[in-house]
Amino acid sequence: MGILEMKHISKAFSGVYANEDIDLSVNKGEIHALLGENGAGKTTLMNILFGIYSADGGEIVWKGRPVHFSSPKDAIAEGIGMVHQHFSLVNRMSVLDNVILGLKSGKLFLDRKAAKQKLIDLAQKYGLDVDPDARINTLSVGQQQRVEILKALYRNVELLILDEPTGVLTPSETEHFFDVLRTLKKEGYAVIIITHRMSEIMSISDRVTILRDGKKVKDLVTAKTNPEELSYFMIGRQLGGGYEDRKPAGKDNALVLKDVTIKKSRKTPQLDHIDLEVRKGEILGIAGVDGNGQKELAEVIAGIRKPTSGTLEFMGGDITSDKVKARFKKGISYISDDRHADGLVLDMSLADNMILRQYDEYPYSKAGFFNKRWIKDLSMDAIKDYRIKTSGKSTSDTIVKLMSGGNQQKIILAREITDKANLIIANQPTRGLDIGATEFVRKALMEQRNLGKSVLLISADLEEIMQLSDRVAVMFSGKIMGILEHDDITLQKLGLLMGGIAKEEEQP
Amino acid sequence: MLEQIFTITFFTAFFSATVRMAVPLAYAALGEVFLERAGILNIGMEGVMLGGAFFSFAGAFYSNNLFIGLICGMLGGCVVSLIHGFLCIKLSQNQSVSGIALNIFMLGVTSFGYRLMSEGQSYQQIEPFATIKIPLLGDIPLIGDALFNQDILTYCVYVLIVIAIVFYKKTAAGLAFSSIGEHPASADAAGISVYKYQWIAIIVNGILGGIGGAVLVLVQTGKFSENMVSGRGYIALAAVILGRYTPLGSFGAALVFGGANALQIRLQALGVPLPTQALAMLPYIVTLIALLGSIGRSNEPESLSKPYVRGSR
Amino acid sequence: MKTKKHLLDILWIVIIAVAATTLMMILCKASPLEAYQMFFNGIFGNLSSFCEVFVKATPLILTGLGCAVAFRTGFFNIGAEGQFYVGAIAAAMVALNLTGVPGPARIVLSMLAGFICGGVWALIAAIFKAKFGISEIIVTIMLNYIAINFLGIAVRTFLMDPEGTVPQSARIESSSALGLLMPPTRLNAGIIIAVAAVIIVWILMEKTKVGYEIKVVGFNKRAAKCNGISVMKNIVVSAFLSGGLAGLAGVIEVIGIQKKLLEGISSDCGYTAVLIALIASNNPIGVLIAAVGFAAMQVGANSMQRQMGIPSAIVNILIGLVVLLILGRKIFRLSFFRKKAKN
Repeated sequence: MGILEMKHISKAFSGVYANEDIDLSVNKGEIHALLGENGAGKTTLMNILFGIYSADGGEIVWKGRPVHFSSPKDAIAEGIGMVHQHFSLVNRMSVLDNVILGLKSGKLFLDRKAAKQKLIDLAQKYGLDVDPDARINTLSVGQQQRVEILKALYRNVELLILDEPTGVLTPSETEHFFDVLRTLKKEGYAVIIITHRMSEIMSISDRVTILRDGKKVKDLVTAKTNPEELSYFMIGRQLGGGYEDRKPAGKDNALVLKDVTIKKSRKTPQLDHIDLEVRKGEILGIAGVDGNGQKELAEVIAGIRKPTSGTLEFMGGDITSDKVKARFKKGISYISDDRHADGLVLDMSLADNMILRQYDEYPYSKAGFFNKRWIKDLSMDAIKDYRIKTSGKSTSDTIVKLMSGGNQQKIILAREITDKANLIIANQPTRGLDIGATEFVRKALMEQRNLGKSVLLISADLEEIMQLSDRVAVMFSGKIMGILEHDDITLQKLGLLMGGIAKEEEQP
Repeated sequence: MLEQIFTITFFTAFFSATVRMAVPLAYAALGEVFLERAGILNIGMEGVMLGGAFFSFAGAFYSNNLFIGLICGMLGGCVVSLIHGFLCIKLSQNQSVSGIALNIFMLGVTSFGYRLMSEGQSYQQIEPFATIKIPLLGDIPLIGDALFNQDILTYCVYVLIVIAIVFYKKTAAGLAFSSIGEHPASADAAGISVYKYQWIAIIVNGILGGIGGAVLVLVQTGKFSENMVSGRGYIALAAVILGRYTPLGSFGAALVFGGANALQIRLQALGVPLPTQALAMLPYIVTLIALLGSIGRSNEPESLSKPYVRGSR
Repeated sequence: MKTKKHLLDILWIVIIAVAATTLMMILCKASPLEAYQMFFNGIFGNLSSFCEVFVKATPLILTGLGCAVAFRTGFFNIGAEGQFYVGAIAAAMVALNLTGVPGPARIVLSMLAGFICGGVWALIAAIFKAKFGISEIIVTIMLNYIAINFLGIAVRTFLMDPEGTVPQSARIESSSALGLLMPPTRLNAGIIIAVAAVIIVWILMEKTKVGYEIKVVGFNKRAAKCNGISVMKNIVVSAFLSGGLAGLAGVIEVIGIQKKLLEGISSDCGYTAVLIALIASNNPIGVLIAAVGFAAMQVGANSMQRQMGIPSAIVNILIGLVVLLILGRKIFRLSFFRKKAKN
């Protein structure tokens, strides 16, 4: 009997199961990994355990007795601590103050001296050394993580949940961090670590629970498994064949990235020396778990972010110093993964959104004044060609906020897929769309490919990647882990690359 | 002219006036520090002070008791702050719009109320709080008179400043209140009920701002007049920034603003030919420079005037 | 569905505002019927008072328009007061000092000077915000007090009437003052300028790419960035326009109404302007309507005060109340109210 038993946990959000009948058992002195793709339900499950959500069904047994946490406060009081991907630290307060924040001592005044001693003792014991008087905003991300763990330990937790803890760490910090985890384990703490990194699972965990599509698929003992098996269970399905109506891809390069890096001081690089070519007439898929640099890659090509170093060439010319508008004029279109924030102005009309890229160009405006007729024609064509559903009589004057996600995405497609678009960056283009709209978007991208245009398709949906791509590059931690030709793609290869393990022959 | 200025008498009177001018600002600024550290900006401080001034006058006038007047002033200020709290905490509305609306609203309400009150009698006066000289301390040359020959509300502000300093430096609650303005989600994660604390801060803001307005009536003039706060609420906001969001700092800033005002009046009385507005303008310029100087290491609470909505990042 | 909710909100606000007004009249021991009659009589009773509505509306239209333009990009300019003063000072300097320039040219020059100076005054806050990330709210308040005191200095020194002893400037000669439209009423060419400004701003906002960029930045800064629209540039542009319009209001007050520079010349319209822009949801035409409406209420209330002793302060109460109700409109949808509405 483990220290924690979660039994038949179910949770649905607006009718869709995020967790369905999940069991999880964790022992004292054990590091337990929780593995799964995006949307597999890992974080939901942990949020239920930590009292952020309440489960629709199932039972949590903690130290032998059923519990129900209605807030993180309850969970912490019972001895469960969680370190989120985004830290809950107050930037301009000291480490010590962050640790004692919210604790009730029952005394009128704080006893900082005693607290500091206790903190220093804890830090020494577990190798979490950090200056108690330092302000949080002067610390590196790795140090901040130590503060988060110390905060939990200071509150006498017995189970520590870590959500993707190594994503923000440098390799040496990760090593140190694992040492800390091993010490914790030795002291009898239970640790749950949410991750998608195979190598880490293999090196640190005792057991693994794999989730897929909100269900538990497998419990494995780490010592008796291997990365291949893990990736098989994680993805666990036959991927579809895809669109076979393909013209042969071109040989010439449309876009070339040479040694492109984005690095902010004291942080791990968001893009790490990327070399990449996108050919004419091909769809290059970018696979990978969310947050491994895909968005940065898209934005550095679209011109929204500047690379710290490296160059970009497009259709034979250097575009490194071109701004967003210049790149669009040269034929780089961008379908963002966040249409509400990046791609659309929700409070404006369909017509206003249609001209977001070309509002200052003839014929839509002349000498600064708009030509309503041209704009109207452009919008009405888009509505017709893309079968956009607008509300009643307002047609092109419909406020975008009032439209469905699929129709909003169609506006972006209509705007971005122009005659002069030579490269379409499509970042998660079908996320959150229904089946019909998804199919529509995929067909549209395929059509552009067959017209000889290039498409950079970034997607966490492997099925989509497999169906559409001519080649697939896999990103991990800001790097391109490897590029697979269409016929060379297997689940195992993809899964391993996504988990950060490069092909054997490339391993040092 | 210069020998007229550089005299003991001049400075004694000047310091005394400085403290007098500073006390209403000090109350309001302290109340504003408390609220802004909890993440809410109240531009409506002017309205809070007007509420405090008018209701303290009405209370004192009808009851013939200064302390009842003071309580009415505190309640008056509190009501204004509570409206702000309702709109900003409960409904997450724009804090600046709410503040400005409250200022104009209260200007109307107090002017209207006073017209109703003063109907028939054109001149109403109450006997203000007497000064209480503290033995020995009050006899210190130059500053003794300014600091220790004052009324009870002035002494109260000294005590409150000390309490506030200790509160923020030494207590768990003080830490909690500062964390809310910096990063409410972190405070929430640490088990602090953000909304409850913000409501407490609203109430404290109203009470202190109300006293700030009441001082104008119960200590300084003994009467109410329309728009009598005349911008002090806005100046208190500046004092908070100049004082780097700390209780002691804001008190110091209140003294700077009070001093500039006092000096202006003194010099005018002496008939100095230089336009005294130049002097009155100075503290605002200093505040702007202080703002520029704080670039990159600003003391402004990071989440100031951003409504906290639980569960959103 | 949405518009219906909207209309219901407006209905509630109007009902509460009228109820509050009536209550205040009763508190003043006046008969509401008579008071309302006096109120409307004050506005429509004679030509002079009717024209006064537009005289009072002029500065409110321009400052309100200024606020609306700034709010469109999310630049919370509450410094219309200060920009008004700076514009007024600039106008007085031009009108009084450039005596060599013929009258009409001097009028144009003073308007230009006022617009630019007001704009630059707002620009200071915009640069503080765009470059250094300092909140424009406090900066504009500080700039208000600096401008007010600067005017105080001006009317005591370089702009003081050499023949007078009161702190105010000499009288501006009529050739370089705005002409009266309908003497003997105070109605002057200022209202034409204000209405023209409304139309120009409306065209600018709705029909040109300048307004389009400002709108995009105001609604969604991230989308602006992703599509190559500079957020900083547009904040600066809208701040300059905003300050310029407020400055123009100051110009008209000096060369159109007072015919001289004196302290307290703005009668606090800079703060009222914020509320007017808000009520108009930053729409230029809406600002025109709201400003004229507010001015009419002022004129009507003044008449009530004169005739029946009802304090004109109720105008401030009402505009404050209306904005507070707009902010708090969600309470109309709380179950308590809904039940009552049904019964």
